[in-house]
Amino acid sequence: MSRTMTVAAKTASPAGAAPTAKEGGRSALGWVLHNVVWIWLIALVVIFGLFNQFFFTVNNMQNIMVQATVLGMLGLAVALPLLVAEIDLSLPANLGFSSAIGAMAYSDWGLPWFPGMLVGVGVATFIGFFNGLCITKLRMVSLIQTLSMMIILQGALLALTQGRTITNLSDGYVWIGQATIGGWPIMPFIFVIALVGVGILLSNTVFGRRVYAVGGNPVASNSAGIRVDRVKILTYTLAGFLAGCAGFLLASWQMAITSNQGSSYLLYAIAAPIIGGVSVFGGRGNVVGVLGGVLLLTVIQVGLAIISVPSFYVGIIGGFMIFIAVAIDAIRVRYFS
Amino acid sequence: MTVPMTAGSQAADDYVLRVENLGKVYGGAVALRDVSLAIRRGSIHGLLGENGAGKSTLVGIMSGQRQPTTGTIYLDGVALGHADVPSMEEAGVFLVTQEPMIIDHLSAAENLMLGIWPRRFGFVNWRKLRKDAARMLAGTGIDLDRPAGKLDAVARRKLNILRAMFSGGKVIILDEPTAALTVEDRQQLFDFMRRLKADGVTFIFISHYNDEILDICDAVSVLRDGILAGGSEDVGSLTSAQLSELVLGRGLVLFQRERREFAEDAPAVQLRDVVGPSVRVPALDIRPGEVVGFTGLPGAGAKELARCIFGLTPVQSGTIRFADETETHKLPTHPRDAFESGIAFLSDDRRRDGAIGQMSIGANISLSSLASVARSGFLSKDAELKLSDRYFAAMGIKAPSAAVAVDTLSGGNQQKVCLGRVLATGPRVLILDEPTRGIDVGVKQDVLRIVDELSRTGVAVIIVSTDTDEITRAVDRVCIFENGAIARELTGSEITNDRLRGLEPS
Ligand SMILES: Nc1ncnc2c1ncn2[C@@H]1O[C@H](COP(=O)(O)OP(=O)(O)OP(=O)(O)O)[C@@H](O)[C@H]1O
Ligand SMILES: [Mg+2]
Repeated sequence: MSRTMTVAAKTASPAGAAPTAKEGGRSALGWVLHNVVWIWLIALVVIFGLFNQFFFTVNNMQNIMVQATVLGMLGLAVALPLLVAEIDLSLPANLGFSSAIGAMAYSDWGLPWFPGMLVGVGVATFIGFFNGLCITKLRMVSLIQTLSMMIILQGALLALTQGRTITNLSDGYVWIGQATIGGWPIMPFIFVIALVGVGILLSNTVFGRRVYAVGGNPVASNSAGIRVDRVKILTYTLAGFLAGCAGFLLASWQMAITSNQGSSYLLYAIAAPIIGGVSVFGGRGNVVGVLGGVLLLTVIQVGLAIISVPSFYVGIIGGFMIFIAVAIDAIRVRYFS
Repeated sequence: MTVPMTAGSQAADDYVLRVENLGKVYGGAVALRDVSLAIRRGSIHGLLGENGAGKSTLVGIMSGQRQPTTGTIYLDGVALGHADVPSMEEAGVFLVTQEPMIIDHLSAAENLMLGIWPRRFGFVNWRKLRKDAARMLAGTGIDLDRPAGKLDAVARRKLNILRAMFSGGKVIILDEPTAALTVEDRQQLFDFMRRLKADGVTFIFISHYNDEILDICDAVSVLRDGILAGGSEDVGSLTSAQLSELVLGRGLVLFQRERREFAEDAPAVQLRDVVGPSVRVPALDIRPGEVVGFTGLPGAGAKELARCIFGLTPVQSGTIRFADETETHKLPTHPRDAFESGIAFLSDDRRRDGAIGQMSIGANISLSSLASVARSGFLSKDAELKLSDRYFAAMGIKAPSAAVAVDTLSGGNQQKVCLGRVLATGPRVLILDEPTRGIDVGVKQDVLRIVDELSRTGVAVIIVSTDTDEITRAVDRVCIFENGAIARELTGSEITNDRLRGLEPS
């Protein structure tokens, strides 16, 4: 009874193989869409360069890299909770608040600048840890918990500075933001170190593997012997630490801490990793993607300034450029995975 | 002129659902090629095949859940253009997917009525919804207000099945509905199907159990590697061995463990005073190398005890003692502690707490043994690859490589990945909850053989199963659970399929 059917199926199999040829074209398109952030980045660099030759100068490239440093550190920080399918909205506020603490430890409490800075980073780390505790042990919803933490920290910064800008930072403190080696600013190197460090942590360590597992399926991770809460708390703590470092770098670079330091980074810091392919549903994304997202946003910001787009239009044009990147990525996810 | 037309439409009328030259390509992999199949109206049509043969893909396409790469679907003789789930359900074709499709935070009643809510003036008629749901759930023991996320795997499946059965659809497709169901549940489902069939409903029924196919199906089709490998319109003339041969393309040797008596040996594990939610087991000893079957109705304690031993369910009291240790320990409070003390557990719900779908096969296999493939927190890629490749091969997982995501595997192959992960921990106590759920007849024998070999190295094994045939073939002793306690134990020749099915007094 099966004989005839089997034979018929056999003769049909060459036809069945035909789609594989079409696959080639499809996978090339898939590759383009997969790397859309980088292609879009290069395209924008070329476009901005055509508008204004200055865009291609070494000076401007250095400027972009310095600008990318703070956003990059913050983008890495934001990516970590996203990878475990949570979110931390308080990181930019944490950046501002902790840097003010660090600065005041020097100016008001009389600590040398370096321990003062460490106190600031320590506070940032602790705030991250605390957020992690609230979300795991108290089962608070991360979106709301960190939103309220953001408001608290923004308010605390305002109270701390009384609305004034802190500018009495020590020479040692501001050194790293200004120093150059052979004409190259050293700030971006810190970002590269952080990028490589987080990259190795995520892809080469047991902890990194657990992060992806927890983000992918927390219930299955638990059954597989992963202490889900602990992994989440650690990612929040590490995110806090990175935000603290970003806070130090920003203050050092600007040589000032305003009463709303960091707040303007919020949307960009969240957009960068997501543009770079970090899934808001957890378990997907890597540091190379975060780098792409950060560079894309920075190039858009710097580029629009350089080709002297009237400031009234910077927001709408920048917004559209981000929209396009995200839309193309959504198409990729919809049709190619 | 009119005569052939009537004849034509009558011929079309014979077959409610027909597919022609269906092909499906995922990425680069061909899952179905040139499949043509017709389902006779009012029949129960069985669909068989090895894991990854393309059964779920085929019924996914028939129900609008997946889109074919090539080919056409005909419903009542009319070719359909684009088909999606809502339009197919509208047309009366309902699919119960292989993995439970449940929205965790909705109640059982709401899940039951998902998309088929009774409406009134455009609003959901909640009163009628509750009334209908209560009627549908009568006798199942499922509380209609309970959030579906809190229900066990079997109850979640039942919600999906009941939704389709009460949908009023004319074609109901069931993708491995009986996996992990008890004998009674199966009988109930079959009775239900027969009643609906008498009313003219057509069924497509996927199963890895030959006896079920022989019991209930009128016709059967067999898929092998995406090709229609054969079939029969007269199931009555087939034997189970013939079916297996059709599925595998070769004869099948059924595994049977040589049962041993263990009463003399010192126990490998001693469980004492285990009291947890709906379990109460004063004492249970398992000898080294012994395979013990746990069975019973849902909620009777078999699964519950297994989860307590592994630390997934918190217990009020309970101790465990291993053979080579003098002190007794409290039962583990987290799976991590359990793994570290050598207890490994395979869950019965691979979607929920078995595999990490978006991670690769290799990463899933090593996930519970990361410490053994890492040095001071850093993964050794070589060591990990060695471990994952070993179990990738041992489990016979059908995939292009161990680097592909588990999500892209067929149900049975996902199960093998989960089993590989658990075995890779090198446990001394192995607890398997429905280990062969969704695994095809051929691989099932392999799994039972692997467990058998493992037990020869001194591992104590617990198999929780409602599959009486599996229990009879694989274990030395059976614990039958009732009301949270071990009501009876069977050993040696007392263990027979009929006795476990309750057909023969014990
Ligand atoms: N989403 C997907 N992406 C890529 N490949 C897939 C996907 N879904 C299924 N496949 C592949 O298609 C083939 C057929 O899978 P399918 O799920 O139809 O098998 P099945 O017959 O239902 O098996 P089982 O008995 O294990 O459930 C398998 O080789 C599988 O790996
Ligand atoms: Mg399937």
